[in-house]
Amino acid sequence: MITKSSYSEQELVALLQQQNQQAFGYLYDNYANALHGIILSIVKENETASDVLQEVFINIWKKIRSYDPEKGRLFTWMLNVARNAAIDKIRSREYRDNLKNLPIPETPDLNIGSDLKPVVEDVGLKKILRKLKEEQRVLIDLSYFQGYTHEEISKALNIPLGTVKTRIRSALTQLRNMID
Amino acid sequence: MNIQEYISSGIVESYVLGLSSAEERSEFEKICAQYPEVMQARIAFEISIERQAMGNAVAVPEGLKQKVFDAIGGHENEVKPAASVMKMNWLKYAVAACLILLAGSLYWNYSLQQKNKELTKKLDDSGKTLAQLEQDIKVLQGNPAIKMARMDGTTISPQSFATVYWDTASHDVYLLVNNLPKPANDKQYQLWAFIDGKPVDMGLLELSEKPLQLYRMKNAQTAQAFAITLEKRGNGPIPHGAVYVKGNP
Repeated sequence: MITKSSYSEQELVALLQQQNQQAFGYLYDNYANALHGIILSIVKENETASDVLQEVFINIWKKIRSYDPEKGRLFTWMLNVARNAAIDKIRSREYRDNLKNLPIPETPDLNIGSDLKPVVEDVGLKKILRKLKEEQRVLIDLSYFQGYTHEEISKALNIPLGTVKTRIRSALTQLRNMID
Repeated sequence: MNIQEYISSGIVESYVLGLSSAEERSEFEKICAQYPEVMQARIAFEISIERQAMGNAVAVPEGLKQKVFDAIGGHENEVKPAASVMKMNWLKYAVAACLILLAGSLYWNYSLQQKNKELTKKLDDSGKTLAQLEQDIKVLQGNPAIKMARMDGTTISPQSFATVYWDTASHDVYLLVNNLPKPANDKQYQLWAFIDGKPVDMGLLELSEKPLQLYRMKNAQTAQAFAITLEKRGNGPIPHGAVYVKGNP
């Protein structure tokens, strides 16, 4: 068996789609920590984040054949698998029931629905969010980190759907400039 | 469509981060395939998101990798280079074991073949002996005229024992040496027939190494008794030596 220290993205994807375990080991070694960071920015508890990460890698292994390089880079695809899994977890009844037993964190006094509380911490992208205007920060948090649809946000915040979309887009372009 | 405006509208970020609707996604993919600058903007943002995520990585608990590999039915160990070394060693030993087995098998085969040859020769010899004995027995048993004279050992050699088969019709005489001591090189056994009280020479014996050999002797018309003496080699028609066995028909 040949052991490689690195792969081109094309090679890696081809090997993974052939269910090559060595390539999968390489993928885990190189990206597990980054995806863990993403998951932790959505899920608060370490233990839950670990469970989600495990689930994410199993899903990557199972669903790698559905990955289409035309639509984006491998990391982007994995990041979205991770984000979706983390959001599914925090929106699950089991997770919400557990949260009720925890002390309610102090949150900025925002004039939004009681169901929608932005949880902003200094992790990863969230650190950058702090630089956004408050109204933009809330929208990004609710949509990206909590997975609410534009329609849900529009209803909860009582803002027209078009305005929600425009503000989110404007916030994203600002975010991009901050990242670059 | 103003492409620069489209790129800077936030659709690129929205698409990459998974915040756009299904409708927006399919439209973006079409435009992306059509305009290289949109594709470029997408890839640039993807790279900066990846870099950002790498910079904010959080160490994963130990043992999680093993759990993942267990779940996909794989073995984490197999992805380590040590696995190939182990496999090589295993292969080496297997090949060595096979060679040893092969050599052993070849030697075994060879020695079996040798043993087989020996046994075949022995069987062949035994077959010849048996055929000879059967021939002799036919001669003796198939003939009602045959008389038998059992000769027992005398006091000088009580263990000795021989038998004379005498065909009263053809007068042929056969001697079966059941047991006689091996004579010295210069001595020879001699068979005698007693006819009217006188010993008549029936022939000198060239004792064969083979046991229970039947010897064709001289013919005799009539005989009241038979005896074997030990004589000097090449003895004439008069007995001089001691009597070893004697008997009557």
